Amino acid sequence: METVTLTIDGRPVTVEKGRTVLQAAIEAGISVPYYCYHPGISIDGSCRVCIVKIEKMPKLQTSCSTVCTEGMVVSTRDAETVAARAGVFEFLLVNHPLDCPVCDKGGECPLQDFSYTFGPADSRMDFPRRTFDGEGVKADVDFGPTLMLNRNRCILCTRCVRFMKEIDTDAQIGVVDRGCGSEIATFQEHGVHSLLSGNLMDVCPVGAITTRDYRFKSRPWDNPTVVDTTCTLCSKGCSTSAWLKAKPEWAKGSQLIRMTPRFNPDVNGYWMCDIGRFNYHWIESETRLRRPMIRTAAGLEKVGWHDAEPRLRDKIQEAAAADPDAVRFIVSAHAATEELFVLKQMVQGLLGADGLKSVSMAWTRSEKPQPPNAKFKIPAANAPNVNGARDLGFMVGQGNDGPAPDLAELKAAVEAGRVKAVYVLDPGPDGSIGDLSWLVEARRTGKLSLLAVQGVVMTPHAAAADVVLPGYAFVEKDALFTNDQGQVQSASLAIVAPAEAREDCLILAGLARALGLDIAYQTSDEVRRALGGAMPGTAYAGAGTVVFTRPVPAASWLQASNPSERWKWDFMFQDLPPVKGHNVQLEGLAREGAGPNYIPLRQVDK
Amino acid sequence: MAYEPVLTRHVGDQDAYTLDAYVAKQRGYEGLRKALTQKPGEIIDLVKASGLRGRGGAGFPTGLKWQFVLKDTPKPKYICCNADESEPGTFKDHVLMERNPHLLIEGCAIACYAIGAKVAYIYIRGEFYHVQQVLEAEIEKAYKAGFLGKNIFGSGFDCDVFVHRGAGAYEAGEETALIESLEGKRAQPRIKPPFPAVAGLYQCPTAVNNVETLCNVPLIMMNGPEWFTALGPEKNGGPKLYCISGHVKRPGVYEASMHTTLRELIYGEQFAGGMIDEHPFKAIIPGGSSVPLLLDKDLDTPASFDDVQKAGSLLGSAGLIVLNDTVCMVWLAKNLLYFYRHESCGKCTPCREGGDWLFKLLTRIEQGEGQAKDIDLLFGVASNIAGKTLCAFGDAAATPVLTTLKLFRHEFEAHVREGRCTIPAEWRARQPMLAGHH
Repeated sequence: METVTLTIDGRPVTVEKGRTVLQAAIEAGISVPYYCYHPGISIDGSCRVCIVKIEKMPKLQTSCSTVCTEGMVVSTRDAETVAARAGVFEFLLVNHPLDCPVCDKGGECPLQDFSYTFGPADSRMDFPRRTFDGEGVKADVDFGPTLMLNRNRCILCTRCVRFMKEIDTDAQIGVVDRGCGSEIATFQEHGVHSLLSGNLMDVCPVGAITTRDYRFKSRPWDNPTVVDTTCTLCSKGCSTSAWLKAKPEWAKGSQLIRMTPRFNPDVNGYWMCDIGRFNYHWIESETRLRRPMIRTAAGLEKVGWHDAEPRLRDKIQEAAAADPDAVRFIVSAHAATEELFVLKQMVQGLLGADGLKSVSMAWTRSEKPQPPNAKFKIPAANAPNVNGARDLGFMVGQGNDGPAPDLAELKAAVEAGRVKAVYVLDPGPDGSIGDLSWLVEARRTGKLSLLAVQGVVMTPHAAAADVVLPGYAFVEKDALFTNDQGQVQSASLAIVAPAEAREDCLILAGLARALGLDIAYQTSDEVRRALGGAMPGTAYAGAGTVVFTRPVPAASWLQASNPSERWKWDFMFQDLPPVKGHNVQLEGLAREGAGPNYIPLRQVDK
Repeated sequence: MAYEPVLTRHVGDQDAYTLDAYVAKQRGYEGLRKALTQKPGEIIDLVKASGLRGRGGAGFPTGLKWQFVLKDTPKPKYICCNADESEPGTFKDHVLMERNPHLLIEGCAIACYAIGAKVAYIYIRGEFYHVQQVLEAEIEKAYKAGFLGKNIFGSGFDCDVFVHRGAGAYEAGEETALIESLEGKRAQPRIKPPFPAVAGLYQCPTAVNNVETLCNVPLIMMNGPEWFTALGPEKNGGPKLYCISGHVKRPGVYEASMHTTLRELIYGEQFAGGMIDEHPFKAIIPGGSSVPLLLDKDLDTPASFDDVQKAGSLLGSAGLIVLNDTVCMVWLAKNLLYFYRHESCGKCTPCREGGDWLFKLLTRIEQGEGQAKDIDLLFGVASNIAGKTLCAFGDAAATPVLTTLKLFRHEFEAHVREGRCTIPAEWRARQPMLAGHH
């Protein structure tokens, strides 16, 4: 790597050639504020708060647009820079409503944080503030199905404009009008219609763009913990962070409150899609399965595991007694690799080497409506672990690239009465396993003697089942998923599963034991160690030593655990010494140019 | 020695704009013919030797600008003629384009040949609809006569000239904003570097030149660089058009050498003919609304790029706005800020927010509702804009405030002290009101 060395505030800083002064400062931990700069999109140079003094240059330069050269001498703390920067901050707040107490961004707002650190202590503006769509709550206007827009808060950094133009490649957002009347808008106020719209909330450095999903639901200080995890709603496997809101003291525990993308250059860059961002409510929904259930004359009845497991064992053994092939498994590709591994051991233990034939993998596929050249593409396969199943030897057809399986062979066998018992493993959201209405019908008409469902939420097939076993959703367990590029990624335990739900791989291990097999896993760690041992020389060899992240306090997460997030949160929770005294310097500069008649502000006031 | 106009000598003739008259009276397209017998590099050297400086405002040497245009590139190159002419007080390019269009067309063709371009775009101000009509008709004639198009004069050189009419933004006169606008985007300036010479129109090497600049090019080709330099003071050679407006007897466009002083331009009988209405001279904005004021003591300054700069202002686009003593300087600043506030493109924070703030402060002071601290605040806000923006617009918007404060601070103080405008009511009545702001 070719490098250049420059001096920033007297410190030698060495960076990769081609980096800008702002990037060098961020890398070196030197605080320079910025709004229009975002590492994922092009450089605009318009907000002007990142100005620094560079020796041999006549004017102050925007550090975001100045490329480092060898021997460059940069100053971010001299009187001229401090005064000029404070002046820009004063301008930024001239028309900003300062409704921070009711603003969603308040507490994690770069405009707040930077203004406190670099801005003047007070504003000299005494005219009414400019408003666009009214004041207060009226100022919030629809900005498409997922977003709200408050133009009064906007500081026109145009990150949203550039995101839509460069990443989404459908430039739905533009700036209309000119000068101090400039406003962010979409054509005829249609709003943003994009599967990447949630990212606009992330790139917005103020509370101008907020998501309907999160707004008014929480404040940053109510989200004390955060967990780095992996999204499992499609085959891409974006790195994400799960934010946990503390429940009231009397309720204890925490609640999943939002998902945000986490920088991963190999998978998702800085972004994630709206599906992964907003589709988490099913995990803690009313339809969540909390206890095992068995079918009685009165319908599904909640029971303990000690009742459910023997019933399940007996029914399976009964069906298998006449014909071992009469027991079949439908497994969602939402199942983690651990679960697939235990299942594989179980079916091979029961049926011999070709036991995997009894398992049908299932997932859905949908082409996402995106512009053809979008820089962030959402895959069609709506399951996270098709490649994991393939790697373990399950039949997945063409995998992520091919059509979703149609289970026609199994369906025919069920309808012909050759299959008596079906065990469904469905740890994804409702519908993610595909259409199983034919299975429900087969159970209703008595063609099946057993329909067992292991899952997370009440689905039509769970409602029709004889035995329902509550498993863990992906944020409730440590688990491995293999994305469409073949990367083995870990999703971490973020929230505690409710009531008597049990970790999926251990449910399967318990069933295997009940069926007389010697599968004695007590934790998923043991499963991963066995997985690693069973697949040496593959990407899974190190499965036993994968380190899963744990919920950490948001403050330390922001500071330390996550260098890749620094672009966004660099200054949150940091105790930067505020740059004081800039007002004095401002007046000093003013006095120099003002001539002998200059009267300092404070004296005039007296 | 009386100065003989060369750019505008025939503009008064009824047929001045026609191709026939141009060829007959001004040895039309001979410069291009001569240029095509030489190597492009030689033409750049000629223009460099002439010392021709950009007439749009900055006074940057044109030959140097052409030399910077990237040579070793597979991309096409472009000439963009900046005919946006939107600086208040400036109306010289208008005359050239309407009355002597072929001079510009020939200049465009020579410039294209010099930098290796095949296409020139004339970005004309949105309001110049009728000028566009003339220009396009004459371009059509030039094509028919073989002065434009394929294989001009059998030299193998192809050149197309297109006219693009802007949509009416002052900011589109900034060279990178002009390029953005030409590409169909909002007229907002780009970050420099890269400069247009490296990545301009469609990210291709581009030279952006003012109309008057390009009109000088055929003259240099025909008469040689020595003739051109001899017309004016050192480093300020060639003919210059001055747009004189304001309280003078005969406002208008005057051609002169840059030896001519500001006083001659205002009082000279062959120029503006002196002040109107017996009211004495108060101040002059010598280079379009964006430059600092000069006073009577500065009027013996020759109206050249370097001398006006030495006097503390800029020649800019040579739009001389002459003001007599009926003008309230607070009103002047407010009037100009009304323009700059309205025309700020809104990209950079200081200019977007500060322009509006300045206008509000000036309105308050002008209406007699200001406080003493507002005067300091004006200075503080203007200083915070100047030099903090991407393009020169920020400086331009701050200048009217800073210069009036510097030279006429007592008028601001009087407004605050008396609580009203302090010039006589009948003088004040002459000042045009701003739409929606009385």
